[in-house]
Amino acid sequence: MSENAITRRSFLAGSAGAVALAGCAGVLSFDAWSQAHAEESDAGGQTYTAHSLCNACSTKCGFTGYVVDGRLAKLLGDADHPYAKGKLCARGYGYSQIAYSADRLTDPLKKNEDGEFQAISWDEAYAEIAEKVKAIIGSDGPEALAVVHDPRPSGKYYAKRFMNALGSANVYTHGAACNLSKESGFTQVIGSGNYESDVANSKMTMFIGRSYADAIRPSSVMALQEAHERGAHIVLVDPRCSNSKVFADEWVPINPGTDLALVLAMAQVLIREGRYDKAYVAEHSVGFDEWAASIADHTPEWAEKITGIPATTIARLAFEFAEAAPAASIEPSWRGAFGCSYQNSGETARAIACFNTLLGCWNQEGGALFTSSVSAGELDEAKFPAVPKPAGKQLGAAEYPLALSSMGSNLYAARMAKEGALKGMFFYNSNMAAGYSNTAYLAEALGSLDLCVVIDVQMSETAQLADYVLPDTSYLERLELPEFVGGTVPCVALRDRVIEKVHPNTKPVDEIFTELAEACGVGEYFPFTVEDLADAQLQSVGLSLDALKTTGVAYFPDKAFTYGKAPKWKTPTEKIQFTSEAAEAAGLPAGPVWMEPAVMPAGTQLRLIGGKQAVHSHTMTANIEDLMQITKDYDLTRVWINADVAAQLGIADGDEVEVSNSEHTGTCRAKVTQRINPTALFMPSHYGCSSPEQHTAYDVGLRQMDFVPFHLEPVYGAAMTQEAIVSVKKVGA
Amino acid sequence: MARYGMLINTKKCIGCYACRVACQRQNKLLSDEAFIRYEEKETGAYPEVGVETVPLQCMHCEDAPCVSVCPTGAAYKGADGIVGVDHGRCIGCKYCMAACPYQVRVHNHETGTVDKCRFCTVSAAETGTKMSTCVEACLTGARLFGDLDDPDSDISKAIVSDNAQPIAGSLTKAKIFYVR
Repeated sequence: MSENAITRRSFLAGSAGAVALAGCAGVLSFDAWSQAHAEESDAGGQTYTAHSLCNACSTKCGFTGYVVDGRLAKLLGDADHPYAKGKLCARGYGYSQIAYSADRLTDPLKKNEDGEFQAISWDEAYAEIAEKVKAIIGSDGPEALAVVHDPRPSGKYYAKRFMNALGSANVYTHGAACNLSKESGFTQVIGSGNYESDVANSKMTMFIGRSYADAIRPSSVMALQEAHERGAHIVLVDPRCSNSKVFADEWVPINPGTDLALVLAMAQVLIREGRYDKAYVAEHSVGFDEWAASIADHTPEWAEKITGIPATTIARLAFEFAEAAPAASIEPSWRGAFGCSYQNSGETARAIACFNTLLGCWNQEGGALFTSSVSAGELDEAKFPAVPKPAGKQLGAAEYPLALSSMGSNLYAARMAKEGALKGMFFYNSNMAAGYSNTAYLAEALGSLDLCVVIDVQMSETAQLADYVLPDTSYLERLELPEFVGGTVPCVALRDRVIEKVHPNTKPVDEIFTELAEACGVGEYFPFTVEDLADAQLQSVGLSLDALKTTGVAYFPDKAFTYGKAPKWKTPTEKIQFTSEAAEAAGLPAGPVWMEPAVMPAGTQLRLIGGKQAVHSHTMTANIEDLMQITKDYDLTRVWINADVAAQLGIADGDEVEVSNSEHTGTCRAKVTQRINPTALFMPSHYGCSSPEQHTAYDVGLRQMDFVPFHLEPVYGAAMTQEAIVSVKKVGA
Repeated sequence: MARYGMLINTKKCIGCYACRVACQRQNKLLSDEAFIRYEEKETGAYPEVGVETVPLQCMHCEDAPCVSVCPTGAAYKGADGIVGVDHGRCIGCKYCMAACPYQVRVHNHETGTVDKCRFCTVSAAETGTKMSTCVEACLTGARLFGDLDDPDSDISKAIVSDNAQPIAGSLTKAKIFYVR
């Protein structure tokens, strides 16, 4: 913690050079605020501020926490943070209450023979876990161990280091249930897992399945608004008319699972009509002719039958793109429609990267950008010893060859647990059991393990399945490693400790992994504190921990992105790959062509689709009272059904309906709306908590993953979360 | 004396609830005590659909029905035109809740009293908030706060240029103006 605001200006006066510490005065003067609280302070209390990073979603917006008498009194988004830009979303405000939640985990827990948890000491927990880890390594080798984590500043470092130190390469992010297909598909074409659409400066941007207004990053909402108010053509391709419609001029209500056909048909039009950037394609790519020939029959008329979008609309969109290029792109999305949703998600990602190439929009103003990033430099090996590279390969790397190894397929790991090849799994900040795939399958898989350890702040469904549950501090109660953020001007931001521990027997993630490593006999790789490491990482880029505590954010202006320059393509051919040898070797067509979804609704069946609401992140915020109250006040657990379909089925708005398929049956209320494609049923992805110890979230609404079969996208290894067909009927009808 | 008012541009509202939760957190309200509520409206027919979210909160009416019906004087209009609640006088009879045409007064189940938007800009000395929390929190700049009697204030100019109107016309002489 730092009593920083007062000293900020004087600090800035002394800073100069390549690194620019953020120097904005912020949205509220500290003097005014501390004056307002003078009375409380006089009563023996203390007032201070600290910079931190929100944990309500993966964006990790910077904010300033104002603490009075040791308690978080208010929080304001940091104006200097590139994602927050002075704002927070509803989740950001609401999730801060996790620190004070009555449902926090407060002590290490062990599951006894009756299946009930009992509190044990940290020393006992560490000793027993270590004994089991050593037994697994002794009998099956370190490759029978794995960790799954949803990356957070400290967690992603410590979880990986811990697993590698034990000798296992089985480090998985949540990616297979998030953005694995998308990033893996992009990588095949452009050698990078992501890019950033320059929405604010674009003439045309198409969003496929992503809604900035429902999965909020403040800077993205602002960019979308700026584009819209400037008159840019903003197109939402989505089975559901999302709240982004406020800043979009067109909703294209596509049949879910068919985005690939739309993109290919638009590409076909550009190629057929010669309206693509021929010079750019010739200079920067390989495989164009072969790919162009392979999609020659993917006409708008062909795509109309698949997508439900009129051929004239598809052709018009293609021509509008050609007119707007290069200040135009298809936005990269995140989880959305092709992060992990369908059998063709990875191929959809490939097609989108190919399509943007036709526009010649890479690194052009208003196009699609590979912005700059900075990372920590080399550290002193004596203080921060390197962990030897594990001998074995990550489980699933051979079976799902295009899955990025930086994410891996956590679902393959689950399958290996069920089949007995994996014996021990650790989870950090990951609620796999409720959010990644079929819940019954995952419960069985995790239940088959010899050792399951979950590190979390509340009793998640995954924690319920654990043998040991280790209580983490909340994000407000700890310092974490610096978070490097790419962008037009890259920066580094800090999650500093805002408040003292609320529960004395919880520990921060860095301590937990360090002490676990020590117990498991690999403590030699953790001879440092998080403060030491954070400071060393920052020193390696010309900063210090003390300096960053003062400002929260520091920019690297000498690394700023500039428009126009083609990036180095990090593909095997060092070109943009319309065709990929690796894809072909994996059994896919050389270039992306149409691939059917795994399942299609027939008759009155509907495809079950999920998605975010602005007040929740996956399953992790449902137990926050402020946020769940909004769900209740506005009946947000309702499933969305197209009005015409509802009329056919005799369902009226607000009716109780039964949703069923081979995996699950459940009831909830229906929202009858014009805002959804007639082949889809939308179920928000946040509800149906089955952990009774989450008293606010428990048993509210239906859970999407109960209905999703356990299956993996071929080659890419993702969860195919929207390859699920359901029937809907009015209860009692 | 300034006559404070607010403008809400629903064409910029994405229905994200940030203003509600920010208000609750910064003003230390209970989870089920929300000073802002929302009406969601769907327009058009598939696939030409529009979405409108209308945030509603105490309109600080010049003809305030809540003040008229309050039997104890707990609901009052201050010299600055801000409608307030004197919690020491409130007996929790909820007459004001029934009388409010905008249905924006809420009952606090812990104190047993009724509360509502305080236009917290004006109470900055107590809350440390430079601007009304909802205005400060809004991601899209859909909200403006200011002095309706100052013709040069941003809000006065925006009301004219955007033809902003109270949600129910001249019903209660409300001081929140909407662009729709």
